Amino acid sequence: MLSRLPVIPASMSSYIEKWADNRMPKPNYTTSIIRQRLYILPTKHGVTFFIILVLLLTGAINYENSLAFMLTFLFSSICFLGMIYSHQNINNLNFRSLATKPVFVGQSALFPVRIKTNKKQSHFSICLETEKSPVVRCNLLQQQDEINIIIPIEASKRGYFNLEKIKISTEFPLGLFHAWSWINLKSKCLVYPAPEKHPFQLSQHSNKSGIYSQQQPGYDDFSGIREYQKEDPPNHLAWKAIAKTGVLQTKQFHSNIDDEIYLNWFDLADTMPTERRLSIICYWVIEAEKQGIKYGLKLPALNIDPDSGLHHYQNCLKELALFGK
Amino acid sequence: MIFQTGQLKTLSLSPSFWVVLSLFLVITPHFQRFPLWISLTIISLFLWHLVTVKHKKYLPNKFLLTIITISISAATIFYYGTILGKTAGTAFLSILLAVKLLESRSKRDYMLLTGISFFIITTNFLFSQTILTVIYMFITVIILVMSMISIDLDDLTITLKQKIKISATLVFQALPMMLILFVLFPRIPGPLWELPDDSKSARSGLSNTMSPGNISQLIQSNDVAFRVKFKDKLPPQNKLYWRAMVLWNFDGRNWEQGKQNFNATPTIEGSKQVVEYTITLEPHDKKYLFALDMPINSPENSEYNADFLLRSKNKIESLYQYSLSSVLNYRIQKKLSAWEINTGLKIPETGNPETIAMAKEWKIKFNSPQLVVNHALKYFNKNKFSYTLRPPLTPGYNSIDQFLFKTKKGFCEHYASSFAFLMRAAGIPSRIVIGYQGGELNPVNQYLTVKQSDAHAWTEVWLKNKGWVRIDPTASIAPERVEKNLNSALSQNDYRPFYMYLDNGPFKKLILYWDAIDNSWKQWVVGYNSKLQHEFLSSIFNTDMNLSDIAIAMVIMMFFSGMIITFYLLKSTPKISVDPLQKIYNQFCSKLSKNGLTRNVYEGPVDFSLRAARFFPEQKNSIELITKIYINLKFKSKHNNKLVEKMKQMVRTLKF
Repeated sequence: MLSRLPVIPASMSSYIEKWADNRMPKPNYTTSIIRQRLYILPTKHGVTFFIILVLLLTGAINYENSLAFMLTFLFSSICFLGMIYSHQNINNLNFRSLATKPVFVGQSALFPVRIKTNKKQSHFSICLETEKSPVVRCNLLQQQDEINIIIPIEASKRGYFNLEKIKISTEFPLGLFHAWSWINLKSKCLVYPAPEKHPFQLSQHSNKSGIYSQQQPGYDDFSGIREYQKEDPPNHLAWKAIAKTGVLQTKQFHSNIDDEIYLNWFDLADTMPTERRLSIICYWVIEAEKQGIKYGLKLPALNIDPDSGLHHYQNCLKELALFGK
Repeated sequence: MIFQTGQLKTLSLSPSFWVVLSLFLVITPHFQRFPLWISLTIISLFLWHLVTVKHKKYLPNKFLLTIITISISAATIFYYGTILGKTAGTAFLSILLAVKLLESRSKRDYMLLTGISFFIITTNFLFSQTILTVIYMFITVIILVMSMISIDLDDLTITLKQKIKISATLVFQALPMMLILFVLFPRIPGPLWELPDDSKSARSGLSNTMSPGNISQLIQSNDVAFRVKFKDKLPPQNKLYWRAMVLWNFDGRNWEQGKQNFNATPTIEGSKQVVEYTITLEPHDKKYLFALDMPINSPENSEYNADFLLRSKNKIESLYQYSLSSVLNYRIQKKLSAWEINTGLKIPETGNPETIAMAKEWKIKFNSPQLVVNHALKYFNKNKFSYTLRPPLTPGYNSIDQFLFKTKKGFCEHYASSFAFLMRAAGIPSRIVIGYQGGELNPVNQYLTVKQSDAHAWTEVWLKNKGWVRIDPTASIAPERVEKNLNSALSQNDYRPFYMYLDNGPFKKLILYWDAIDNSWKQWVVGYNSKLQHEFLSSIFNTDMNLSDIAIAMVIMMFFSGMIITFYLLKSTPKISVDPLQKIYNQFCSKLSKNGLTRNVYEGPVDFSLRAARFFPEQKNSIELITKIYINLKFKSKHNNKLVEKMKQMVRTLKF
C-alpha cells in the first residue's frame, strides 16, 4: 500500500527509499521528524499548476496586461509558500509508540502511536501508512497538543509482530507538494494463534470426570436473577431488572470450582501439524475460560498448572503464541 | 438510462461546496457579458453537480455528457460565430469548466478545475482593470485557496475560521514576493503574436459616424475617456477641444468619415506658445488618438494626417500613454486641394429644401463668407433654439429642415450637423469634427479627467486667408457647455443622467479623491509596462537599467526575499519552553540516573517510582511523594506554586 513517491518513476523511488533507509536511526520508542530526514517533491497537481503558471505568464506577456502579471505572481508566491507550509506541517512532530494489545492471527494488529507537537501550531491532514497498512489521516490542532492514532496491520503469523517503517506524509495545504519522512518506531504486538474449533478431548490428566459437574454458586457464569442479599457483590446488580421492578436484584452466576482440566498437546494426534495443534489448543483455552473451568496447559517442555482468570488466560495464550520461538 | 448506475464514489460535500463556490465567484464577473442563456446554463450545471455529490446519484453517463457538451458548445459557437476573441473565448472556457465540473468526482478533477479557473480570472482582466476588480480577485483567490485546502482535507474537518485563517494568511504572506516580481520581472514590449480580432467587444466610445442621437447616447456614460497632465498651466476651458475624427460625407442624415484626407499636406502656422501635455488613454479598441486643437507633432507608432488627426498603428486595447504638443492659436491649410473643395461643399441632391433656400438667401444677402458664418450663429442664438439631451425625433431625410424650423431642440450633433449643412449650401467648405470638449480638473492630483460625457461635435469652415476655422454652434445656444460643462448647460428641469446629480452633491469631494486614486492606479499599476519599468528602475538605481539588469535585480531580490520568508516561517516556532514542573521532574530523573537507575522511555512516572522505590528502599517515601506531586500537578490540579516549590526542595535534598 505504500504510495509511491510523486512524479518519480517507481524504479528510482526504490533507490531513494534505500538511500533514506540508511539515514534513519535505529528503531526507538520515541522518535521525531527532523528537517534532515524530511523530503519534499511536487505532486502531479503541482506539475500541472506549474504548467498553468507558465501559460498564465505567457498570456500576461502577450497581452501586456499588468493585472494578469499580478495574478500570476501572486499565485506563484502562494505556491512557493504552500511548499514551506507543507514542509512545516510535519516538521518537528514527535512520535511515541504506545502499548499494544495482543490479537489473534487474522485480526488486525493495532499499533497505537502518539503524535505530539512541541510547537504552537496546528498540523492538518497528516497521513500515516506502512507498507501493509491503509493510510490513516488526522489533524493535530494547536489546542490538542497530542493525539493518539492507531495503525492497523493485519497479523499473519503468531509470535511478536514488530511495527514496520512508517511513512508520515502530507500534502496540506494546497495539494501541490508532497512532504514526507520515514520513521522507525519500536513497537511489537503479541499475536496469538488463530483459534480453530475442535471438540474437547477428555483428558486423562483431569482429576474429575468430565467438564460439566454440579453447579455451585459462584461468579463466573451467568445463570439467572434473584433478589439482592447483603453479601452479594454490588457490581452484580441487575440494573435492567431493578429499573423494571424497583426491587434490588442481583445477577446470579455459577462456577465450576471443582472442574480442573488439562489442555494437553499430546491429546491431539501426533500427525497433526504444530500450527494446527496450537490453534486447537488456543480454541480450548478460550472456551475453557468462557465456561469458567479451571484449566492447565501441557505443551512439550512446558506445564502450566490449572487455574482461571484473565492473567492465567493471557499467560496460556502467550505461551501458545511464542511456542517454539 | 441517462444516469450512471450504482453507488457513486465522490469526495465529501465540503470540498465540492467550496469548489462550486469558488468557480461561481470566478465566473460571476463575466455574467454581464454573457447572454442570459449561457449564464443560466452554467449556474444550473453547478447546481446539478452539488445534487450529484449530495445524493451520490444522477451523475450523467458518457452518452448524456457527450450530448450536453456538444449541444452547449455548438450553441455557443453558433451564437458568437467564433471561439476566438475575448468574449467568445471566455464564454467557451466557462462552459467547458461547468461541464467538466458536472462529471467531476475525484481530487484530480477538482484540482484541474481550480487550475483552469485561474485562466478565467485572467480573462476578466482583458475587460476590466479597476481597483475593485483587483480587490475582487484577491477575495476570489482566497476562496480558491480555501477550496484547495478543502480538497486536500476531504473528510477531515476543520472549522471555517481556521480555513479562512490559513488561506488568508497564505495570500497575505504572498504579497511581498508578488510585489517584488511585479516590479522587477523584466517586461518585454509588444505582443508575442497577433491577437485575434474581437468583433463583439462593446466598449463605450466615439463611433466613426455621426447621426442624430448617437452622441447624446454616449453622454449617458460616466466612464473616463482619457486623462491629461499638462506640463504647465491648464489652458482655458473653452479652448479644450480634443479632436478625434473629421467627418466629410453627409447623406442627409448621417455624417461619415469618407475617404481619409491624405491629398493635402498638413500646413500649420501657429503662435509660438506651445502647450505640452501627456495623455493617458483608456482602451477603446480603435485606432484613433485624441489631441488638443491643433497638434504639431505625433507620438511614436502613429500617423498624422492632413486633417490633423492622429492614428495609432495598433488598436488601443490597453491603457496607452503618449505625449504631445499643440498650439491653441493657429492657422491651418490656407490652400485647399480640389478634393477638399469638392467634398467640403457636397450636399445630398434631394432633401432639406427650406434650409437650402435660406442658405442661398444668406449667401446673396451678405456676400462674404465671414458674415454668413456670423449671421448663422446669430440665427441659432435668436430663434429660441434650446439645448437638450432628449431632443424630439427628426426621422427621415429632411431632418435638418425639421430641426431648424419645427422642433428647434437639439444636442451638439444637431447643431453641428445643421450648421455645416447651412455652410455647404451657402458655398462655404465645411466639415464636422467629433471628439471631446472640456474635462474636469481634479484638484487632488492636477489631472484633467475627460469623460465619455464630455463627447462633443463641432464644425470647421474654410475661410479665405484664414484656412480652416473652428466654429462651435453649440456655444452660441448654450455657452455654459463650452465655458463650464454639460451639466450647467442643461436647463433645470431637463432630463440628465443620474451621475450628474452627484456633481454638486456632498459626495463630490469623495468622487474627486476616488478619481485621483483611480488615476494613480492606472498610471502606476495598470500602466506599468516596459517603458515605465525602465524609467522607474533607472531612476531608483540611478543607472540605465536594461532588461538583463532588471532580470539580475529580480533574481537577487527573489533569492533574498525567499530566504527571509523561508527562515521566518522555519523559525517562527517559539522556543520550546519547558514548563518548570517538567524541569524539576527531569532533574529528579537525572539524579536517579546518576545513581544507577535510568527511566525507560516507555515507563510512566508511576511505574518508574515503583521501580525506584524497590531500587532505593531508603528514599522510598521521598520518591513516592515527588512522583505524587508531579502527577497531581501535571494531570489533575491547577498550577500551584507552593507545591512546585516543595517538590523542588525535595528533589534538591534527595540524597543517596
